[in-house]
Amino acid sequence: MKESPSYHVILFKSVNQTMWADKLLKDKGIPHKLIPVPRTISSDCGVCIRIESGIIDAVLVEVEAIDGFTGIVRV
Amino acid sequence: MSQIIDARGLSCPQPVVNSRKALEAHDTIITIVDNMTAVENIRRMAASMKCIVSEEKKVDGFYITIDRPSGEPGNPSQSAAAIDSSCPGSVGRVLVISQDVMGKGDDALGTILIKSFFHTLAETAPVPKTIIFFNSGVRLVAEGSEVLEDIRALEKSGAAILSCGTCLDYFKIKDKLGAGKVTNMYEIKDLLIGGPAVTTI
Repeated sequence: MKESPSYHVILFKSVNQTMWADKLLKDKGIPHKLIPVPRTISSDCGVCIRIESGIIDAVLVEVEAIDGFTGIVRV
Repeated sequence: MSQIIDARGLSCPQPVVNSRKALEAHDTIITIVDNMTAVENIRRMAASMKCIVSEEKKVDGFYITIDRPSGEPGNPSQSAAAIDSSCPGSVGRVLVISQDVMGKGDDALGTILIKSFFHTLAETAPVPKTIIFFNSGVRLVAEGSEVLEDIRALEKSGAAILSCGTCLDYFKIKDKLGAGKVTNMYEIKDLLIGGPAVTTI
């Protein structure tokens, strides 16, 4: 069992943009997981991308330019 | 001399399971529990086995005496699944995954939803008692599936993971099964009919 690592989630304006980012990160081989937006952030039934906090920089380079990128939040 | 089953501190459905087991070997047992829910569950189980039940509330718990009339089989009609479903909020539910996407309409969206669903299922209680995968649902349990880690986590938390053998064969992924075990239509039928509540995705 891994020590529970700390996570950040990347948020986009729409589900389509989240799906786009999911595919992009998958193609680049960057570890991530598509999860529901945590309840603490929004009550909407949205999805976001969770990454381990240690790789924020590498992920940001890839996703910042995607349309609808709204931010990255520690969870 | 009655067999004594001390089920204090055990959570549902363990007191029922332990009592039922003891009744297979003994005609009279005394089960000791520490809460009313357990008393009621055991009363129900005993009734289904046509046993005579009496209770006594003592300082250190409820003492339930269960007498199995001679001639009554120690092998009750109530299935293990039925016992589990008698526990409110517990793990009695069977979850059926009949496709590799969630919902109908758009498969790209359905893929996102099923990933989100399995993540949530693995992270939050309660865990389903059993998850059955059939048709394209079996792809989710195969190596390379994006939800396989979540399914493995669910298995670790006690969910039985069952995949339809015919379906694995059809998709030619029998050798890629990444969690749980292969099942057949007889077992699937038993789980769907007459067992606890079933939810189909």
